[in-house]
Amino acid sequence: MNLISGIDVTASALNAQKTRLDIVAQNIANAQTTRTPNGGPYQRQTISFETELIKRQGGAGASLQGIKIATIGTDRTPGQQVYNPQHPDAGADGLVTMPNVNLSYEMVDLITASRAYEANLAVAKNARQMALKTLQIGK
Amino acid sequence: MVPIGNISAVHPGALTRIDAPLPKNPLTPSGPLTATPHDGFGQVLDNLVASVSEKQDAAQVATRKVLLGDSDQLHQSVIAMQEASVAFSMMVEVRNKLVESYQELMRMQV
Repeated sequence: MNLISGIDVTASALNAQKTRLDIVAQNIANAQTTRTPNGGPYQRQTISFETELIKRQGGAGASLQGIKIATIGTDRTPGQQVYNPQHPDAGADGLVTMPNVNLSYEMVDLITASRAYEANLAVAKNARQMALKTLQIGK
Repeated sequence: MVPIGNISAVHPGALTRIDAPLPKNPLTPSGPLTATPHDGFGQVLDNLVASVSEKQDAAQVATRKVLLGDSDQLHQSVIAMQEASVAFSMMVEVRNKLVESYQELMRMQV
């Protein structure tokens, strides 16, 4: 029994946007991290999505394309060099390589993810309202 | 979200050899032809109630997982709750229609 149509696609999109928000949170949190297990400063993580075919039970309705995480990659752009000889991670010339996180980019990404999440929530809400209104036929 | 049933739960009588001999006179009715069918409307209602209950159970399991910290899929649990709610509303509508038709019959002038 699938009463709310397309809700599994919306659920996968909500999950994807939530993961994107987590990645942005991780980037912002590590905007000043100069030491990682791999050595060197923190490198910004990026996320990309891909479609995923969602099969319906019993063949009712069309098969829809959901969304899933394709890759969580690393931004290899070199970070900014800052002259700070007192820093523990400063080189012999007193320069510290900072992470390549740009806070403006991250905030834009944050707002985009948040708006995309809201859009999918609106879809879920409307799908539920449609199902409830359908039950009101003939009243 | 419906769990896939255990394969071993298939009734052993349901699987027969494809080259097994046919039963003798398979089409002869064993009782009076007016007997009630097994898969009547009551069975349909039974299935409806069972699937609504299944949805509520699924929503409860998802919510408990979130509350216990086993999962961070908050939206899945809320969506499961909404699905259960819509399914319950549909069951109530079916009940209302049934009672309505019963009362319509009771009001009939004989």
